[in-house]
Amino acid sequence: MSFKDIELNMGPQHPSTHGVLRLKVSVDNELVLKIEPVVGYLHRGMEKLWESLTYAQVVPMTDRLDYIAAVSNNLAYVLAVEKLMGLEVPKRAQYIRVILAEIQRLASHLAWVGFMANDIGAVSVLLFGFEDREDFLDILETYAGGRLTVHGLRVGGVPYDLDDALIVRIRKSLDELPKKIKDIETLLTKNRIWRHRTEGIGLISAAEAIEHGLTGPALRASGVAWDIRKDIPYSSYEDFDFDVPVLHGGDVYDRYLVRLEEIRQSTGIIRQALDKLPAGEIMAKVPRILKIPAGEVFHSIEAPKGELGFYVRSNGTDKPERVKMKSPSFINLQSLPLMCRGNLFSDIVGILGSLDIVLGEIDK
Amino acid sequence: MTNTGFVFDVLIPVGKIVAVILYPLLMTIVMIWLERRVVALMQKRLGPNRVGFQGILQPFADAFKLFLKEDIMQDQADPLLFKVAPVMVMFSSLLAFCFVPLGEPIRIGTYRLTLWIAQSPVGLLLVLGLSSISVFGVIFGGWASNSKYPLMGALRSVVQILSYEIPIGLTALSVVFFARSIDLVEIVNHQSRAKIWFGFMLPVSFVVFWISAIAETNRAPFDLPEAESELVAGYHTEYSGMKFAFFYIAEYAHMVLVSSLVVLMFFGGWLAPFPNVPALAFLKVIPGFFWYLIKIMFFLYLYVWIRATLPRYRFDELIRLAWKWLIPLSLVNFLVAALLWYIL
Amino acid sequence: MKKVSRFLKTFFLVDILRGLAVTMRFYFGRKITIQYPEEVQPSPERFKGILRLYKDGNGKPLCIACKACQRACGTNCFDIEGVRDPETRTLRPVKYDWKLDRCTFCGLCVEACPTKPKSIRFSKEFRMATADKSRLHFQLEDMYLAGKDLQKFFKGESKT
Repeated sequence: MSFKDIELNMGPQHPSTHGVLRLKVSVDNELVLKIEPVVGYLHRGMEKLWESLTYAQVVPMTDRLDYIAAVSNNLAYVLAVEKLMGLEVPKRAQYIRVILAEIQRLASHLAWVGFMANDIGAVSVLLFGFEDREDFLDILETYAGGRLTVHGLRVGGVPYDLDDALIVRIRKSLDELPKKIKDIETLLTKNRIWRHRTEGIGLISAAEAIEHGLTGPALRASGVAWDIRKDIPYSSYEDFDFDVPVLHGGDVYDRYLVRLEEIRQSTGIIRQALDKLPAGEIMAKVPRILKIPAGEVFHSIEAPKGELGFYVRSNGTDKPERVKMKSPSFINLQSLPLMCRGNLFSDIVGILGSLDIVLGEIDK
Repeated sequence: MTNTGFVFDVLIPVGKIVAVILYPLLMTIVMIWLERRVVALMQKRLGPNRVGFQGILQPFADAFKLFLKEDIMQDQADPLLFKVAPVMVMFSSLLAFCFVPLGEPIRIGTYRLTLWIAQSPVGLLLVLGLSSISVFGVIFGGWASNSKYPLMGALRSVVQILSYEIPIGLTALSVVFFARSIDLVEIVNHQSRAKIWFGFMLPVSFVVFWISAIAETNRAPFDLPEAESELVAGYHTEYSGMKFAFFYIAEYAHMVLVSSLVVLMFFGGWLAPFPNVPALAFLKVIPGFFWYLIKIMFFLYLYVWIRATLPRYRFDELIRLAWKWLIPLSLVNFLVAALLWYIL
Repeated sequence: MKKVSRFLKTFFLVDILRGLAVTMRFYFGRKITIQYPEEVQPSPERFKGILRLYKDGNGKPLCIACKACQRACGTNCFDIEGVRDPETRTLRPVKYDWKLDRCTFCGLCVEACPTKPKSIRFSKEFRMATADKSRLHFQLEDMYLAGKDLQKFFKGESKT
């Protein structure tokens, strides 16, 4: 029995498709010929649901999209609505938003390292990644009350202020982070098995990446220096001094390194924001019943997974007429067939892991 | 009057057979507990610790659960092969234990009780050969499942086992060369006479043997054929209930077998360490059987430690490692060992 | 020289041994899991447990049935009816139905509540499991239950 041109199904229930994703894979003995992702198993009709909710009621729903990094969804949506309103958010609120978004980026990347390592076989790193993430989830819980569905932002600002105790706690967690990352790195970065599994796998060139709309760390690992925080700054990101890691290999290993470096850069941003936190209001004047005159806007941010954007169209009532979300995972997933060409079946899991997809985002 | 002939000729061999069957099963139970507890502790969490003292009854809970599971077999599965496969794998592991000595002979009065079922002048060869029969079980299991995933897993597993048999054989050969005998008991006795264990004389042999042994038993980092995230569970995907338990136990029994071989060949079997140091002579008070157990437990612990730490090798790298690195290395090692033997 | 050192590092499995050392260090280190239910993680102040109605210091309910929470909620969990008390000229709720199975714990109702202190707030109770779906719908008296009484309610042994 030979395996020429056999179609295998990495079905919706699979331990390492990160969510309910179905992959139809055609293999030739071990080599991947064609791979077709089938999505929609987690579709909840969010965009239609939002048309019947007020602008403020949509914000907690956005938590459920990219459920690993809830605050970044909140941020993208509230920034889009504020742009539509033409509202100026106070500086202190913007800095607190930056702090929350970067903490969420840390948490998202630490969870990603865990998932990725677990797929490749290093089962302990899953636990270490999640343990390191706990500190930051506890901070978010102390701030807003939720760890996964945070609802940490509001239209017009942030709901709570950062008191001194919380600031001290954030600093302490940031101080402890480098040691923990070092442990994960000792287990992975120089490990020969890890490098065998990730170097030279899932290659995508810069031109192909741009053509397919790849964004986020995967794009930066292919050599394209594009980060929305630097190129189209939002929410006072221009006040902070940080590097954007760019590597040129375009393989899984480089995506891994880029994300680890982003973790380090995020700690720098949070420290700067804490040091320079201005005094002031934390919420702009927003009417209780928010009606926005007719208009449309698209605004995107650099979420941990890529470019996360919201298109909002208003029609003068208190409910949006149409909200469309551009999810990074959906667009990134489309480059999966390109990345898998020439690789073996066992690599699919690694490549999928390096793309860092979340089905909540893809299926909405 | 007791019929001493009856005792010596029937009861003791039967007792030994029962012991040989129970020994890997008991070690499997310990292994299941060890694996879950140690992996958990290495991941900074407590493992199962509520079922019995420190969770020691957890394996029994798992076994009980497997007993109660429904025994599923598809219509299109080949019934005979499907049922034979787990039995075959278990059978080969247990059979190989017949030739594995567990300790030095004990004197009870005038009788010398030997702690093995059979001693053969080619013991090591028999053990290696008998444990290779498990390959058939794997093929049967994969084929009889009549499903793509298990078949792929079975084929990979077979290639892996066959490829890694060669370094095992070659490194065992270097030990045999030094000990001038293929008899496992003789190998241990030779280490006793030479006052130094082969693990220290031939470290490269030990490391190559150990790596190949991990690959033989389909354990991390060489567990691609049964990796959950890749092929669901390889050749035993379609098995449930007691048949799956058989595969499970057979894998652990194979691990114990291989650890026993490592201990016997490279670490002195049942010998106490530091025999030359008179200050540590009290170590000899502990019977050989216990030293043997302690050493095997160390290697089982090492299995689990490695599993908790390392990622998985991809299949082609696995095979490349065997053919491009381990086999040439073991050949060179054998030559060097032979040269050393003649020089020294 | 560098090549030799790299070869030696590969031959002697240095990277693998370093990884093994890390897990061994964790083996002997402090464990981060706690033994629930004997030990419980303390909840922060803004923790979002189950929503509860509260009474003031004299035992009088704080809710004035203004329905701000009903309007703020995005998932229609509330069904409130109020009646004006003729003596004190204040509104009091006469019907306060809340559905736990619809609640997303977003907190918009808490933010909307105008009373000081707020009459509807998140508690610290997170044990909301029940085997009977009808126990997920609360009425006015059930909204004040807490602790053991609440657990009895979930088990179906409550008086209401």
